[in-house]
Amino acid sequence: MTRVLSVSGARKSFGDTQALDGAELELHRGEWLALLGPNGAGKTTLVRALAGRVQLDAGELRLLGHRLDGGLGDAEVRSRLGIVPQEIALYPLLTATENLRAWGSLHGVPGSELGERVSWALEWIGLEDRAKEPVKQFSGGMKRRLNIGCGVLHRPEVVLLDEPTVGVDPQSRERIWEMLEQIRREGASLLLTTHQLDEAQQICDRIVIIDHGRAVASGTFDELLSQTLGSRRRVTFSLADEPPGGLSPERWTTADHGSLTCSVADLASELPARLAELSAAGAKVTDLQIEAPSLQAVFIHLTGRELRE
Amino acid sequence: MIRTLLGIHWVNLKRDRIALALTFVLPLVFFSIFAAIFGGMGGSGAGLGTMTVIAVDLDNSAVSSKLISALDGQDAIEIVLAPEPSEDDPAPPPFDRESALVAVRTGERSVAIVVPEGFGESFGKFGGETPSVELVYDPSNPLARHAISGLIQASAMTAAPDVLLDGGIGQLETFGGGLTPEQRQAVDGFKAFLAKADDSPEAGAGAGEEGTGGAGEDETPVFAGLVQVEAISAMKSEDAETDKSRSIISYYAAGIGVMFLLFSMAGAAATLLEEEESGTLERLLSSNVGMGTLLAGNWIFFSVVGFVQLSVMFVWGSAVFGLDLFTPHHLAGFIAMSLVTAAAAAAFAIMLATLAKSRAQLNGISTVLILVMSALGGSMVPRFVMPDFMNTTALFTFNGWALDGYLKVFWYEQPGATLLQSLVSLAPQLAVLGGMAAVFLAIARTLARRWETV
Repeated sequence: MTRVLSVSGARKSFGDTQALDGAELELHRGEWLALLGPNGAGKTTLVRALAGRVQLDAGELRLLGHRLDGGLGDAEVRSRLGIVPQEIALYPLLTATENLRAWGSLHGVPGSELGERVSWALEWIGLEDRAKEPVKQFSGGMKRRLNIGCGVLHRPEVVLLDEPTVGVDPQSRERIWEMLEQIRREGASLLLTTHQLDEAQQICDRIVIIDHGRAVASGTFDELLSQTLGSRRRVTFSLADEPPGGLSPERWTTADHGSLTCSVADLASELPARLAELSAAGAKVTDLQIEAPSLQAVFIHLTGRELRE
Repeated sequence: MIRTLLGIHWVNLKRDRIALALTFVLPLVFFSIFAAIFGGMGGSGAGLGTMTVIAVDLDNSAVSSKLISALDGQDAIEIVLAPEPSEDDPAPPPFDRESALVAVRTGERSVAIVVPEGFGESFGKFGGETPSVELVYDPSNPLARHAISGLIQASAMTAAPDVLLDGGIGQLETFGGGLTPEQRQAVDGFKAFLAKADDSPEAGAGAGEEGTGGAGEDETPVFAGLVQVEAISAMKSEDAETDKSRSIISYYAAGIGVMFLLFSMAGAAATLLEEEESGTLERLLSSNVGMGTLLAGNWIFFSVVGFVQLSVMFVWGSAVFGLDLFTPHHLAGFIAMSLVTAAAAAAFAIMLATLAKSRAQLNGISTVLILVMSALGGSMVPRFVMPDFMNTTALFTFNGWALDGYLKVFWYEQPGATLLQSLVSLAPQLAVLGGMAAVFLAIARTLARRWETV
């Protein structure tokens, strides 16, 4: 796979705060990479460094084969980068069309192509019928979509999205993922930071977890799982009555509503034995649920913190 | 790139009705209030500091020189007879009537007194023709004319009492018969005493005290008949009252215009901080726009808005209050001054925005600075009622230089000057304001580094 973006040994401090402490990551062509980390982990600093807004103290950034070193060539290669900020960075008194035209022009879309690109973007973000309304009248989800539209109007090859779905309802979030999937199919490579762990798990090809300015794990979800929690499954048994006495607390945990849970490494061999153990203890099992470990569990395992902290 | 930025600013301003009203309507309301109050203001001698007055003695008689000495002895007046020596002209010749008129017209001095030939002959001849002096005044300074007029009468009374006594006795002899030898001896003795007393230093001080008292008494009838004062406006118009009124209006158009220009620019520059807060600035700087381009775009747009704001103010003054804007000299001078003033005010506001860390800070800093500069620079209280040291202080303010330029355009025209010469006469103000703009922009560019790559 062609590597379009790479970060190696990135270090940056602001006063006494070490925002980046040797961060590493790679993004490949056509890939969708999620950058996860608790607040203050260094995600936004890394995105800003890639955007040219933060000068690293040490380390190397490469974009589309070019080493970003603060030289004159950086601007040229960065024009192939699209950035969607976490803030709704739009002009509220301008209409959707005017915002798209302005940002397209500021990103170097030639005047002759601007009209066609704006039409494409309006259709892509589903705001054709609201094109002539000032942005201040839009809902949160519409603003988010327009915010993304303004960042990709110039057909960037690599798109950095900082929390693109924060504060929007599930329908709008779904629409945004569809939009992003569409440009990915058309060849764009996407790097996004998000707090939506379940969606990152479902949608993204690979995940990088960053904490204290360092990448603590990276890979596909399965790879992360095998690196951390392994293949163990959590099994929950619902019981008709109260849990019987005499069960080993090291092997069983009492959960809500009188149910019992346990962790199982090999379902095929261990599950029948567990059922037999409960039956022998006099418990009547009415239902059972098998859960694979979630990204959230992996995340907490790696960082020791909930993502929203 | 700059075109796109200008377009964004324009649409933002066009759709923000409150900003539009604050920029264009509020200044007109304030200006109209000041113009209505001061446009019809009568003269009052109160509150004058020492005023430098040109004296031209065409009579060269003992009486005329005594009158001028008596005026010079007044606390409120300092007499000058010739222009200040300069490197080009180390010993300039004394003022004549024409050069005195020019000096007042160009704003160098507020008032000139011309004592015509034959003044001494007619002085003190009661019942005959009243001697007259010419008072050339600047209609923009309504106080000076009346104050100096009163002081001339007071000085005439005390300047040559011996001559007055002689004239009075002559009239008595003409209409009431000759004096007896004893009466004649007594009169001569008193005359000698008056002449001696008049030459003594105390006499000047006495006259000064009396004269100062007379300054506040405008057109006192007792003095009015002693010396006739022919007041002549230094400006073109024959109608001095209209001149005065219009000059006050153009003063306030400039004064209020510049003050509100600064407020509007500070308000507009707050968009930089607003963009910082909303994340738009970060996004702009992540696009192909550099900080230099961004500041240049803001500066150009604010300058244009400022120029339009000043134009609206003066056109309103012209339409409603008769301000004399639409003559080639005035219009050219106005355009030159307004372009540079607006550019400097825009740069000043951008500098403040780069200095402030938040909009609240910008509001606080700009309000205090603008109010202080407006008060010192003459936007609120006319400069001609300020004492000299305050006028000097005004030169350290933005408003002071801008107002000086507008005063030159609308009041202190050089007679017979070509359009180019009129514009050249604005060079000091244009240069200082242009220099201010350059310095403000340089500081703003330096301070704006905090928004660049960290």
